[in-house]
Amino acid sequence: MRIWALAVLLAAPCLAGEEREAPPPLAAPKPFALPAVTAFALKNGMKVTLAEYGSVPMVAISARMAFGNINETADQVWLSDLVAELMKEGTATMAAEQVAREAARMGGQLQVSAGTDESSARIEVLSEFAADAVKLVADVIEHPKFPESELERVRGNLLRQLTVQLSTPQAQARRAFAAALYPDHPYGRLFPSESQLKGYTIGDVRKFYADNAGAQRTHLYVVGRFDPAVRKTIEVAFATWDPGTAVKRAPPNPVAAKNLVLLDRPGAVQSTLRLGLPITISPSHPDYAAFEVVDSLLGGAFTSRITNNIREQKGYTYSPFSQVVTRYRTAEWYEAADVTTKFTADSIREIQFEINRLRKEPPDAKELKGIQNLMVGLFVLQNSSNQGIIGQLSFVDLHGLTDDYLKTYVQRVNAVSREDVQRIAETYFDPGKMTLVVVGDKEKIGESIKF
Amino acid sequence: MEKATVTRHARTAVCIATLAFGLVSGAPATDAPAQFTVPITYYKLPNGLKVSLSRDTSAPLVVVAVYYNIGFRIEPKNRTGFAHLFEHLMFEGSKNLPKGEFDKLIEGNGGVSNGSTRFDFTNYFEVVPSHVLETMLWGEADRMKSLALSEENLKNQQGVVGNEVKVNVLNRPYGGFPWLDVPQYANKNWYNAHNFYGDLGDIEAATLKDAREFEQTYYAPNNAALALVGDFDEDQAKRWIEKYFSSIPSSKLPPKPDLREPRQEAEQRFTKTDKLAEKPALAIAYHVPERLSPEHYAMVLLDQILLQGDDSLLTQELVKKRGFSDSVDGGINLLGNAFNYNGPMLWMATLIHDAGVKPDQILAAAEPVIDSIRERPVTQEQIDRALVKLRAQLYKDLTQFGGLGRADLMASFSLFNDNPALINNLEKDLRKVTPELIQKTAKEYLRPTNRTVLVLEAGAAGKTHSSGGAQ
Repeated sequence: MRIWALAVLLAAPCLAGEEREAPPPLAAPKPFALPAVTAFALKNGMKVTLAEYGSVPMVAISARMAFGNINETADQVWLSDLVAELMKEGTATMAAEQVAREAARMGGQLQVSAGTDESSARIEVLSEFAADAVKLVADVIEHPKFPESELERVRGNLLRQLTVQLSTPQAQARRAFAAALYPDHPYGRLFPSESQLKGYTIGDVRKFYADNAGAQRTHLYVVGRFDPAVRKTIEVAFATWDPGTAVKRAPPNPVAAKNLVLLDRPGAVQSTLRLGLPITISPSHPDYAAFEVVDSLLGGAFTSRITNNIREQKGYTYSPFSQVVTRYRTAEWYEAADVTTKFTADSIREIQFEINRLRKEPPDAKELKGIQNLMVGLFVLQNSSNQGIIGQLSFVDLHGLTDDYLKTYVQRVNAVSREDVQRIAETYFDPGKMTLVVVGDKEKIGESIKF
Repeated sequence: MEKATVTRHARTAVCIATLAFGLVSGAPATDAPAQFTVPITYYKLPNGLKVSLSRDTSAPLVVVAVYYNIGFRIEPKNRTGFAHLFEHLMFEGSKNLPKGEFDKLIEGNGGVSNGSTRFDFTNYFEVVPSHVLETMLWGEADRMKSLALSEENLKNQQGVVGNEVKVNVLNRPYGGFPWLDVPQYANKNWYNAHNFYGDLGDIEAATLKDAREFEQTYYAPNNAALALVGDFDEDQAKRWIEKYFSSIPSSKLPPKPDLREPRQEAEQRFTKTDKLAEKPALAIAYHVPERLSPEHYAMVLLDQILLQGDDSLLTQELVKKRGFSDSVDGGINLLGNAFNYNGPMLWMATLIHDAGVKPDQILAAAEPVIDSIRERPVTQEQIDRALVKLRAQLYKDLTQFGGLGRADLMASFSLFNDNPALINNLEKDLRKVTPELIQKTAKEYLRPTNRTVLVLEAGAAGKTHSSGGAQ
């Protein structure tokens, strides 16, 4: 810091000799309250959560369905994506174009997508259309037509997306990283082969839907401003839906081992890096809040240590970041960065240096407090939009947490001590158990990487 | 398709590019729809700083946004990318906040921040817990008043910006397509037609002297707008704004260069080979009517009717019926929305397709759709649906990311029209648009001779990375 201050003084002599002024004192924080929720279940097992929020007359409706890529066998990669795409292609009583117009009439756009652990059908509309939007979502997820006439077009779209995604170094890195951590689990199969994708029939689509979709696998969230009578609409729209089968998810047995994967991208001006490991704890684990604090300190914030080092001090990269990915009954952590090719080895060394530094000594109290404040601030921001609130509520439901999870989140983050941070870094962030993926120009990188 | 970003960092770059614009009441006349009027207080400090305030207590947050009336369009001619490089320097420290200290003050008090460079403005914003408002105003005033520039920080940020260009343009397929490429082909006036991200050579050549001159010319209160949105006390906020900003001297601004584009009289067609792309792509662009003219509002509706949403005519034709792509994307001003710019602009539609489909096939399918709009008036039902979509989009924008979308419109209308309350006029002006005006606008602006076509050839076709499947 002294070096920087000196540089500033030399560069701007007009300021020399003037005392620095301190920031004005902070006012007292305002209280933050989570929106009140109403939760209930239908007789067929479908769960519903309603929350009133916001100043503008909009309402978000999201049906989270407990199936996705995790339910695919090794021969079914992206079958759930194909199912989700085809759910937009019309219902027993409405053609796809009618569905699109109906959504637009309410000011919304229907989105259906498959995710790793769950899929969703969602729309955000003007408040006066809340009941109609519920009916539209109900029709789409209860009575999809899965028209064979649209299969080849939708498959063509997925094939094109597959090629486009895999032409980016980031997707190549993601694929290799997942495959290394989860060699025998759907989490490790991010992309299908083209021939696999070409093989799915409309029968496969219908069977996957029939095996997985149903009321007891579905949780409907309605958040925003709406007439409470929407509850009656929900009860009627979903009353006759088949309960379907119970939720089926198998947790992975991730691999935590030192592993370097170097993928050649001749001529690349940057190397795409991903360094991390599985961390087998869930959000309900007592160490979880401290785990998130460690992530934020290392690379999860703009002021984090790795970002400060390889971007703000060294200028090797533009957008480095670290992330906690919460999986079913486990989690993973990684740092990702696209770095100038000639600084590939230097960047890796600095990232490892920062991880080891946190394992050796606890952060000072001020640094820790700053990161805790950031996490609390982001939590408030995440609970300040219709979509954000749905994200928070569904996180709690997906991971089987108690209602207290969100209510006590701030308290848990603030309870993390300096010693906790070091202990978590030491316990869980073992460089000897990390996978490093590098996508870059092999010839230029050569043997420089020490790993 | 690449998300357009020219930002300080990528993590909060999600925001304003999705913002479409708005409408404040309306919808089909059966039910009386709930309405939302944006509360706005607007005034100017004696030094020229434009201040707009909008209170919303939905969450204990406040957005602080400072917009400078300098975008990449009018950066120095031998310094492409300079407006954006300078944006980065604004984070490198000021008199009372050495490098990194403002970031720590923001994040350490629970907030997030970013900056971005657009056609006609450069913005800096924080979304923070309400009780941090005074600290943010102090920090923004400090860097408006006394930015600290140094060789070392310039060199560091030249490295960072070089990496930003590499990650967003040079090391990825469709890098810069279409948002950075198409204006360079479609426009004739250098101000609208140069490489806004900058040639790496120009970025490397920038000096501290360039930065000081740029700062002294453009970064002054009489060339800026401050917008606050969120949970704050208005009288107190005004006192703080007075306290921290009123002593900053104004500058003498140079005359604005002539940004006008000549009327395009013949179709232009260009081909670009993207050596990293495995699938070809196509962009079509048309020059749009002057911002806030009656024809501009008609163009905003045309964008909804033709391009926005699954019900739009081009999506139905090119995606659903012909199966050329999974989506056709675009709009007016890909780096923002139909209102947050101040000069010539393009309406663009773009898609990625398979090699078996030729660009002329796609154009031949799109042309009858566009011709139909030029040849006969759209129906009132089409207009009504476009209006509802716009109204919903506005509401989402006004509340997204703690209220950043609202601050963006307030600051843009302050800078460019001296009237942020125009947000609340949008509906009235859009409702004036008739089927006849839409047809007239389409006839002039969706003319084939007003069109620029950019064909992206897939230089990496066949080098498929996907055939091996999961590793």
